[in-house]
Amino acid sequence: MTLQTYLLLGLILFSLGLYCVLSRRNLIGVLIGVELMMNAASLNFMAFNRYSVNDPATGQVVVLIIIGLAAAEVAIFLSIILNLYRNRRAIDVEELRELRG
Amino acid sequence: MTEQLALYLFVVLALAGGVMAAGMRHILNAIIGLAISLLGVAGLFLHLGSPFVAGMQILIYIGGIVVAIVFAMMLSLAMTMRPPPANRLKVWFAGLCATLFLVSVSLVLSTAQFHVVETPPAAPSWAIEHIGHALLTHYNLVFEALSVVLLLAIIGAILIARQEKPTT
Repeated sequence: MTLQTYLLLGLILFSLGLYCVLSRRNLIGVLIGVELMMNAASLNFMAFNRYSVNDPATGQVVVLIIIGLAAAEVAIFLSIILNLYRNRRAIDVEELRELRG
Repeated sequence: MTEQLALYLFVVLALAGGVMAAGMRHILNAIIGLAISLLGVAGLFLHLGSPFVAGMQILIYIGGIVVAIVFAMMLSLAMTMRPPPANRLKVWFAGLCATLFLVSVSLVLSTAQFHVVETPPAAPSWAIEHIGHALLTHYNLVFEALSVVLLLAIIGAILIARQEKPTT
């Protein structure tokens, strides 16, 4: 496989994640879509790291940072979901619209 | 030969898991799809020459994040709730946006020229020691910032999810 193939694969995964984020009504479904998109981004970083970087530690460090940020993001997101469920009994994104301008 | 077969297997796993995560109506099936997709991408990392990052992907993503999502699903009873009927307009619009993005970026990708250098995966700069060294010298600031971010995220998650005591 070449660099272009990996980039195409990452692009397809990112599009699937975008579709998931936009089409889901459940907040947990939105979170799953975000994870897919982050995963596609890290696949791109690893592909560039393999094929067009002189120092191969760069891309691996970036991917490790992405994984760490994803863990932090999931912790915050899940606590928000729990709090919403406790106060509202609903995690449907179309029912949570008090903040609309 | 076996390597090629494994590579195609990983590609199929990543794509099929992604389709499953995006398409399945029930949220548990979507989570399983996410785990399958992450496993496939970890295999691709292995093929791209970095067994360390592949291991971290499996350990943190599949062993930590997916399990945390399953816990949140159980605690918020999304498992027993009937999935609400999909909003037709929203699904169509989402599909349109994703397809538009896919087509436009693949057009860019088909004309782009990349500077390609072949770093053989067996070179000593691919060793784990090299990553650790880079993490503690050249990328030291990022490393420290990430640890602060993780600490703040833990404290914030505890603060947000804490049960409020009724003040009498």
